[in-house]
Amino acid sequence: MRRFWQRLWKKSKPAGVALIVLFLLYATALLANFLSPYPYERQFREYSLCPPTRIHFIDSQGRFHLRPFVYGITVVNPAFKRYREDHTRLYPIKFFAEGRRRILGVEPPGKIFLLGTDLHGRDIFSRILHGARISLSIGLIGVSISFLLGLIIGGVSGYFGGRLDTVLMRLVEIIMTFPSFYLLLALRASFKPNISSLQLYLLIVIIMSLIGWASLARIIRGMVLSLKEEEFVMASRSLGLSTFRIITRHILPNTFSYTVTALTLSIPGYILGESTLSLLGLGIQEPYPSWGNMLSICVGNLRILTLAPWMLTPGLCIFVTVMCFNFLGDGLREVMDPRNW
Amino acid sequence: MEKTLVVKNLALAFHQERRPVTILAGVEFEISSGETLALVGESGSGKTLTALSIVKLLPPQARLETGEVRLNGQSLTSLSEREMENIRGRQVGLVFQEPSAYLNPVFTIGNQIEEAIKSSLSRKEKKERVAQMLAEVGLDEKHYWHYPHQLSGGMQQRALIAMALINHPSLLIADEPTTSLDVTTAVQIISLIKTLIKKHHLALLFISHDIALAHYFADRMAVMYAGRLVEIGPTRTVFNSPRHPYTESLIACLPEKYKPGEKIRAIPGTVPDFANLPSGCPFHPRCHRRMERCFREEPEMFPVASALVRCFLYGNSVATEPGN
Repeated sequence: MRRFWQRLWKKSKPAGVALIVLFLLYATALLANFLSPYPYERQFREYSLCPPTRIHFIDSQGRFHLRPFVYGITVVNPAFKRYREDHTRLYPIKFFAEGRRRILGVEPPGKIFLLGTDLHGRDIFSRILHGARISLSIGLIGVSISFLLGLIIGGVSGYFGGRLDTVLMRLVEIIMTFPSFYLLLALRASFKPNISSLQLYLLIVIIMSLIGWASLARIIRGMVLSLKEEEFVMASRSLGLSTFRIITRHILPNTFSYTVTALTLSIPGYILGESTLSLLGLGIQEPYPSWGNMLSICVGNLRILTLAPWMLTPGLCIFVTVMCFNFLGDGLREVMDPRNW
Repeated sequence: MEKTLVVKNLALAFHQERRPVTILAGVEFEISSGETLALVGESGSGKTLTALSIVKLLPPQARLETGEVRLNGQSLTSLSEREMENIRGRQVGLVFQEPSAYLNPVFTIGNQIEEAIKSSLSRKEKKERVAQMLAEVGLDEKHYWHYPHQLSGGMQQRALIAMALINHPSLLIADEPTTSLDVTTAVQIISLIKTLIKKHHLALLFISHDIALAHYFADRMAVMYAGRLVEIGPTRTVFNSPRHPYTESLIACLPEKYKPGEKIRAIPGTVPDFANLPSGCPFHPRCHRRMERCFREEPEMFPVASALVRCFLYGNSVATEPGN
């Protein structure tokens, strides 16, 4: 692990940074309950579209506080969503302010909205943390299913060849001719609109990975086709290794410098796919947040965009995550091949 | 005593397109434990295919027509692929020509040697066994963590030898193990193989196109031409008094036999194409002692002194006068 990190860092600094950022993102997603100040579905009706709360160290009298604090929020005009800081009320930020479950918060009736609130007055920061669970895991799970399928089917097809190869590759071609996004829409439409979020989540992952494996299987097959002619395969046969072991231990690892890169580069596809679906209202359903459905509220609503640009932060999160995976993929390409060290 | 390896009347054909093409015919030899047999011949004479048919690692179009291979008394001919997997590595080890190509580029040397171990040992025991084997082939313990491309050709070949011998097989097949190495490394590898056979009482099938090298360390020598053994016998007999005209010309080609500046006499012509072998003795178009009979009939193996020779000069006493 340490060696791997050293190599990655030596080969590509952006990839190293990307790995750290991704690690932090996944850690926050895991600890969402603990790190978020409020539950994701908690609504503060009177504070709808409230801008991000500013954190202060120096109060209106110019005194310095070691413990950062926020001011209370006064509603100036509920119709136009105007809010003002109330300098008379001062709420220090405390650990475990709202019970033992949440690390960060202010004592009620103080409010802390680090990234503002949405139309229903829900804290966007809390929702982003919870939404990360879906948006970040959908890529990992989807990719692992489609890669497992792609590796096995591509490997078997390439190694054994013959009729099996023909059948499998025609299947791949059939799957590849489907326009995947419309297939996704059609399949989604064939299920009841009111299925639970968990079922929907699984459905999206499975549909996307069942489409995704085809192109990978095809490339793996091509690589295996040339790899099986390599002498080291002959050598492992001469050592009496079984076919299964030869494929899994000797041939497929030789495709890893490609597959790992392809893997990291295809994760963004899943994140974006889920976002697009949610954007169209077919993905994860309210009140459960995902980065995609949080963004979907903004679509076609110019008033929200001008009034509350902080609603776009989930988009920023998607952008950062996708960029990180791309950088990481580029770096891994270099690192995975021992001949490049 | 049972010989380690017995090959009897081996015949192999390639089934391509319509007509099967015979590659090997009537190949017969034996190797006992501790003995080295060198299989010598030009490229394309069927040496490697002979070795591969022993362990049944043949290209898909090749098929064994007749013959039997016995290893330590067990017939391999009728074994299934699954059973052969058990034999390979465990009872026969193979070393190949191009060490860099025969090592998997993405695994460390130690990993690959460990992978070859066939008995179920704990991780620690496996590691110890690999370390011991590395020392035996003259590699440092640190090479365990090295990748193939970090090693020189000679060290790669040592690693391959370690892989081939890790299960203590009784037969080692070395297919031109030194061809891609430079002279000094080749000598080191040869002497390493020599010590290892002595130490483990291995039977060795050494395949080479270099008759001088084979002469240097084989106990017996078999000369192959166009898929047939043309002469087999103790190295000294074959090398010092070659009977078959082909062996004779091969030895005559050795540069050591010539004074500087003198022109080397190569054998005229080339190895025949297996698809259209000449009639009669396949060597007759290039033979300097051919007789009329050689055009028509194919000779059998005739015993001469301690050797067997496939040439009418030595048997079937019909017309023994050498003609032109």
